[in-house]
Amino acid sequence: MAERLLALEKAMADLLLDASSAEDFQADPAAFASRRGLDAADGDAMRRHRQRLLVYRELVQSALEDPLPDCFPHTHRILEEAGAWRDCIQAFIASRSVQSAYYRDINPTFVVWLADTGWGQDRWPFLLQLAHYEQLELEVLSGPEDPAPAGLSAEPLPHAVARFSGTARNLAYGWRVQESRAEDPLPAEGAAHLFCYRDRNLEFETLEVDPHSSAFLARCLEGVPLADAASGVGVDWAEARNLLLRLQEDGAILGYS
Amino acid sequence: MAIESFQGVGVGLRRPHLSEVAALERAPVPFWEIAPENVVGQGGKRHRKAMAILERDPVITHGLSMSLGGFDEWEAEVLDNLRAFLKATNSPWHSEHLCWTSVGGANTHELLPMPFTREAVRHTVERAKRLQGELPVPFLFENVSYYAELGRAEMSEKEFLAEVLEGADCGWLLDINNVYVNSRNHGFDPKEWLAGLPLHRVRQMHIAGHWWDEADGLIIDTHGADVIDPVIELFEWILPRIGRPLPVLLERDNNIPPLADLLAERERLQAAYDRALAPVLAGGQHG
Repeated sequence: MAERLLALEKAMADLLLDASSAEDFQADPAAFASRRGLDAADGDAMRRHRQRLLVYRELVQSALEDPLPDCFPHTHRILEEAGAWRDCIQAFIASRSVQSAYYRDINPTFVVWLADTGWGQDRWPFLLQLAHYEQLELEVLSGPEDPAPAGLSAEPLPHAVARFSGTARNLAYGWRVQESRAEDPLPAEGAAHLFCYRDRNLEFETLEVDPHSSAFLARCLEGVPLADAASGVGVDWAEARNLLLRLQEDGAILGYS
Repeated sequence: MAIESFQGVGVGLRRPHLSEVAALERAPVPFWEIAPENVVGQGGKRHRKAMAILERDPVITHGLSMSLGGFDEWEAEVLDNLRAFLKATNSPWHSEHLCWTSVGGANTHELLPMPFTREAVRHTVERAKRLQGELPVPFLFENVSYYAELGRAEMSEKEFLAEVLEGADCGWLLDINNVYVNSRNHGFDPKEWLAGLPLHRVRQMHIAGHWWDEADGLIIDTHGADVIDPVIELFEWILPRIGRPLPVLLERDNNIPPLADLLAERERLQAAYDRALAPVLAGGQHG
């Protein structure tokens, strides 16, 4: 085991990711190194390279923050205008939640971090739901391809099971997140039952449905036969069929088995 | 795709250019370079355009996140995706940086400096050999820009690089801009530095622009500007010493210009490449 190498990399990660560790490092690099099990020679090297090691902190903070404002424009704007964006990002980075080898995973990781920590949600109770919806668009637009399996029927018969596109998402929010706009990003409080998917033109589509239709689609996604799914939540079969046909035409449903 | 077909100056395939490139009948460059991490496991409009280009044109892959100097294990899914992508694109090899990017599971998505120690050489060589065993194509190491030494050095960067390349017995992706950046940031002669290294291991080159921070005199390897003349001069100096045609990648990851401007920059570098290798190809000697 390369113990010294591992200790050096862990010390560097502390400096790069944790604000309080960076302050300790700036105050006394040798003591910072010593507290992390490094010897005096390594501490002396860190002292000599103090300013340039700090350049890496800027680079890492920038790398981990960069994709977020584009993916979460409304969340970003709300927090930026409140002077809270930097604190949010620093807390996110310090959590070390970013673990995936794929850079694109920073965006969904940010949503998971908001869910796990509840950060900012005492002041902005809609924050998690807004961020979730903002990230969803990118997730749906770039989700893996899922060609229809062979042998699916095009007719939604009552006993059949619907086969949905892998990009289809059935969601229930307590805030009208889909109505956030650049000029007014704060969502209003209110139920929003949304069915989101990538359509045949490969564009992001959001269909707002009533609570019964949302429950029907949830059961369909679970693999319940169509007529059972409809009757179980009190949706008329003709209405259910029309909804299925619309989603099928748009590409959210691949067919029926 | 025969390795001999990968010659001249290629360009990184970038998102803003996908529609324009996909609409062309054939590649406007000898090859594209792409990071598999940015493509695998995706779908949708942009992905379809990227895959259509990668199926049509020659491709070389370049990785960003294997953290060969680190300790974190590679996820099976990441390796599976990488292997499948290398096979699908017929990349002649796959390169990664001589650095680390993650520790204790936390990924920084930044190329972090290796300590120049014997322990780090042994560790990195072992990881490189392990990765090579997982890949269907040869593996290359790229020399990186570094701004600070991490811990007490037991050797120079040059010795570190040479020992890793020899120990791992792998090819070298020579980033000529990184050599220039390091020579300016750490005060050495880049030609002297290059002369003592195993040039027979060079399979590919990178060339790029950078950013000079006047405030503290530090050059940062941004890939966000045109290549400067001193880097092109160094490029023309080293090519005949390598002594054979090879693929050279113009890197542009920030401030990405319109495709036409990027291709004009590529032409400028291709002219330098042709000029530098003309005596070699004519059977002459380099000076």
